[in-house]
Amino acid sequence: MHQTHQQDCIELLVEKTRRGQIDRRSFLKAAGMLAALPLAMRSGIGWAQDRPVIIVNWGGDAIDAYQQAWTDSFTRETGIPVRIDGSGPTEGAIRAQLASGRPSWDVVDAEPFTSLTLGREGLMRPLDFNTIDRSKVNEEFATEFGVAGYLYSYVIAWDKERFDSAPQTWADFWDVERFPGKRTMYKWMNGVLEAALLADGVVVADLYPLDVARALDKLDELRPHILAYWGSGAESQQLFLDGEVSIGQIWNTRAIVLERDTEGRVGWHYDNACVTPSSWAVLGDNPAGAEPAMRFIDHALEPEGQIELLKLLGNGPSNPAAEALIPEELIELNCGSVDNLARQFKLDIEWYADHYGSVLDQFLSRTGG
Amino acid sequence: MITRLPERWQYRLLLWPLPVLLLLCYVVPFAGIVTWSVTLPELGVDNYARLANDPSIHAVLWRTLYLCTIVGVCALLLAFLMAYCWLYSSSRWQRWVELCIFLPFFISVLVRTFGWLVALRNNGLVNSWLQELGLIDSPLALTRNTLGVIIAMVHFMVPFAFFPLLSSMRQIDDRVLLAARGLGASRLRVFISIFLPQTLPGLLGAFIMVFVFCLGFFIIPAILGGGSTLMAAEYVFLQMFQTYNWGIGAALCVLMLVLVSGLVWLLMRFSRVERLVG
Repeated sequence: MHQTHQQDCIELLVEKTRRGQIDRRSFLKAAGMLAALPLAMRSGIGWAQDRPVIIVNWGGDAIDAYQQAWTDSFTRETGIPVRIDGSGPTEGAIRAQLASGRPSWDVVDAEPFTSLTLGREGLMRPLDFNTIDRSKVNEEFATEFGVAGYLYSYVIAWDKERFDSAPQTWADFWDVERFPGKRTMYKWMNGVLEAALLADGVVVADLYPLDVARALDKLDELRPHILAYWGSGAESQQLFLDGEVSIGQIWNTRAIVLERDTEGRVGWHYDNACVTPSSWAVLGDNPAGAEPAMRFIDHALEPEGQIELLKLLGNGPSNPAAEALIPEELIELNCGSVDNLARQFKLDIEWYADHYGSVLDQFLSRTGG
Repeated sequence: MITRLPERWQYRLLLWPLPVLLLLCYVVPFAGIVTWSVTLPELGVDNYARLANDPSIHAVLWRTLYLCTIVGVCALLLAFLMAYCWLYSSSRWQRWVELCIFLPFFISVLVRTFGWLVALRNNGLVNSWLQELGLIDSPLALTRNTLGVIIAMVHFMVPFAFFPLLSSMRQIDDRVLLAARGLGASRLRVFISIFLPQTLPGLLGAFIMVFVFCLGFFIIPAILGGGSTLMAAEYVFLQMFQTYNWGIGAALCVLMLVLVSGLVWLLMRFSRVERLVG
């Protein structure tokens, strides 16, 4: 009984604070007198905005870039402080956060299939499309649990000193006669099986569901020519800078940097590349509460910030409205432009949500020795 | 207060902090791991059944055991030579050997791993020197494969084999060796029949120590393996963080612990641990 009454008192307080009848200090004092601070803290009102919203991304240059593109302006506009944590929101890491019972993360920049898988299990907050303007993002890049903050792509990059013509297709990538030299591909599988199937003659329309066995067999053919599976963007960049590989399947963001840093020695294009969205998602029971997290996501869909990110890192805006505003020199780099999207194929998020874990195991046992 | 206790109790009191620390920091969390291995995703021994039947896990385990064995043998061989040199050389040479052992010992494993990458990669120091000397035409594949992992792991492990070996060599009574020489045995014969057998407990102990250390290696295979040398530790990481199979990851941890416990039991059974550290 006591519990129920206490809860009722809190509800009343929350209600009053919401209507502005009492200020926050009095609220905290009253809640403290009810010995119910922890309970009150969870009601998600008012002062939740005093604690920073914790945005979790993949670290490195992206921490500074996100700050410039999104979080500084968000704090200026709303007064809500933000902290960026670069520790990498893998599915396991998010689950570990939630399993602890007291997650310290709010918004994650996750793989879209991660947010979908976790969302379907009830572990992520359904996005509040009253706060988030869904029209700001291409319909196919939004689910109930995640909206794309940007797009990026797994492209074919090559060293122009190794051969004169440009490898165009994944069949070229597999063709070690015409395009000799070592290769590198992504260690965690995204886009790799697709590349193998395309090289084996499958057409894009028939890619999914992936024929995993066939893809792994095709991959075996290339094995003697794969120098390394890169696990981080920096590693893929180093392999090209040092001239250790002649072709690679790497992120467009790294390809852009490579082309600039090598003064054109490394070439790349969006032909037959694998484009995929990121996914803003909110942890269930996140410490800062739903409201500020949703507001941040809505803010991050504004074209200005997305174009800033394109400038800084090369990630393509997910908001179609951004395309008209992109400065001329960046238009070609944008993997999300209508022209460039037409040259690429899309990673099937649904397939990855259903198969990622088990197929990754198979993939690694084949690539891992 | 404490001095009023009988003397043996005073010593026991001093021993207490270590078991308590181990209990809190190791046994308690490990009980959690064991629980995970039989409760995730559901109650039962499914995870252990998968350990027994899944060929991809077997591949990881065999690769791990195989690499650890090779690294153990190579590290032992190098450490044996160095310890032998140390034992029979002048004090100036002894300083040199010690420097070679201690210097890398104090450099972080991450720095050393990247160092090996710079040295061993296709256009790295070793390959470019060999090419300039005209010894090879095209670069040797020294890293981003199993070989690179082995080289760096052996380098890391030599000190761990050196000290137990040295300690067992120093306990050999020189007079026995002299007596054998005096009775007409050749140097080689003395080494094989008198010296080597007496270092066997040290060799076995050093091997097991190196082997057990190697089982848990993560950074070196992850960086130098070129994404294609998946060992047990990285596999556990993968199951925990990438694919979310905490149950199978936990079961693999338990299996590794059983393996390590068995090896440590062997170590204590067949070689006298106190002589290895003496």
